[in-house]
Amino acid sequence: MSILSVKDLKVRYSASGPEILKGVSFDVEEDDFFAIIGPSGAGKSTLIRCINRLVEPKSGSILLYGTEVLSLNSRQLRRLRRGIGMIFQEFNLVDRMSVMDNVLSGRLGYVGNITGLFRLFSKADITRALSVLDRVGLSDHVDKRADQLSGGQRQRVGIARALMQDPKLLLLDEPTSSLDPKISREVMALIMEIAAEYKVPVLCNIHDVQLAMEFCNKIIGLQDGIKMFDGPTSEMNTKKLDEIYAMEVL
Amino acid sequence: MASAQATAEQVERIIAARSKAKLVRSLIYAVVLLLVAWSVNTTIIEDTDWARMGSVANVLESVAEFIGIDWGLFPHLLEPALETIMVATLGTLLGVVLCVPAIWFGALNITPFMPITYPFARLMMTLSRSIHEIVWALFFVAAVGLGALAGVLAIAVRSIGFIAKMTAEAIEDLDPKPVEAIRAVGGSEFQVFVYAILPQVLPVMVGVIIFEWEINIRRSSVLGLVGAGGLGLVFFRQLNTFNHPGVTTVIIAILILILFGELVSYFVRKAVI
Ligand SMILES: Nc1ncnc2c1ncn2[C@@H]1O[C@H](COP(=O)(O)OP(=O)(O)OP(=O)(O)O)[C@@H](O)[C@H]1O
Ligand SMILES: [Mg+2]
Repeated sequence: MSILSVKDLKVRYSASGPEILKGVSFDVEEDDFFAIIGPSGAGKSTLIRCINRLVEPKSGSILLYGTEVLSLNSRQLRRLRRGIGMIFQEFNLVDRMSVMDNVLSGRLGYVGNITGLFRLFSKADITRALSVLDRVGLSDHVDKRADQLSGGQRQRVGIARALMQDPKLLLLDEPTSSLDPKISREVMALIMEIAAEYKVPVLCNIHDVQLAMEFCNKIIGLQDGIKMFDGPTSEMNTKKLDEIYAMEVL
Repeated sequence: MASAQATAEQVERIIAARSKAKLVRSLIYAVVLLLVAWSVNTTIIEDTDWARMGSVANVLESVAEFIGIDWGLFPHLLEPALETIMVATLGTLLGVVLCVPAIWFGALNITPFMPITYPFARLMMTLSRSIHEIVWALFFVAAVGLGALAGVLAIAVRSIGFIAKMTAEAIEDLDPKPVEAIRAVGGSEFQVFVYAILPQVLPVMVGVIIFEWEINIRRSSVLGLVGAGGLGLVFFRQLNTFNHPGVTTVIIAILILILFGELVSYFVRKAVI
């Protein structure tokens, strides 16, 4: 049974604007590490953001663990979001807060407003944060402010924050585009290991096809809001890539 | 030849335009002059009690009465001076609390219901700023009676506008990425505010609050004029009892207080930001 099942997803940002996703469908299985590739503006970020409804689709269906995401009310939506880890291209950390507080903010979906306000996280949460930080190799930077870290380290904080959520699914929007090639590879390797350890399926936007082929087991090719390819990485070839990227030079 | 003629025509046109501009300018000068003359006549010539002012010597004599310091008054200034600072501080703090809805409603990117909440916040800010603190104080003296409480309320209400406006603008300019991240982990709107918005605007807010506190010391030192406590009240009393050196003494005390406020503000700002 598939964990995530997206059917005929259509998105417009405004009533009169162009259709950004034109009926996209796909299924994600338990141990999938999906890469979503395609030219700039194809709708990759839009697609990822629909899954946790940072973008509201116009029509279609998103079944996650048997729940219809699109029919949730705002309270249920928050419950859903806390189980979906998201990692961003520009890390989206709160610069003026410590690494610890940034990581703990991954628990916000599980605590009440008062706990959040006074940062009264439980001992269990703090212990967990420390072990997660250790797992991503940041044990030495716990008390630093987020803006004192390098790009690679900041993305590790982003990964740690997502892990704090106890995620049932990871959404990654170009997690390595702000990093140099060597660090990119390290970060992708870390994410892949963690996904296997925690047994979470991953949906990852990426424009570096090389990285996609190396780390992902399945690929979705998007072009102008239409799915052009959907299959195991082994079935991807140069000809199909050329089709997805159309006129673009690789 | 044709070009020479064109030039002559051009010269004509420019001269005509310039003389027209000159006429307009002369007219503007005349109007301004008339307005000044009219204002001087109503406010100074007609409104001044020339007979009472007397000769230049008399004026100088009256001014001289203010020279000198009433040393005996100093011990009695300590308490009002403290009160002035307390009024400024409490007023600023209360102002910060009252600001919260104005900030929340007044920042376009977080205002809950634009058509109603946004104009409401803007109205709050404008009212607070466009009414003078003395007028606010008169209003609160009427409402809660004479004394420092009226001063605190006046200062608080008068502070809303500036703090709220600057903070709301800072919120409008903030980086939306952390906001999105906190939403994505399932945070409530309140948590989004506390975790993603507040840390970004806190430095601005603290700076603005300190600045406002410093100004509020100035404000609270005159509020006594309308019976709202502090040094102003002593000032008023000296003036009423014709103790002119005493008036000078209070003015010096106010000056010292303001310098103190500026100093504190300078150091706190340096420490915090
Ligand atoms: N908030 C928005 N409002 C209006 N239009 C948007 C918005 N976000 C994206 N778009 C439009 O939707 C289209 C798809 O954008 P999207 O960000 O999903 O592309 P992408 O495939 O992620 O591109 P990239 O590789 O450059 O990140 C683009 O034409 C973009 O202009
Ligand atoms: Mg994108």
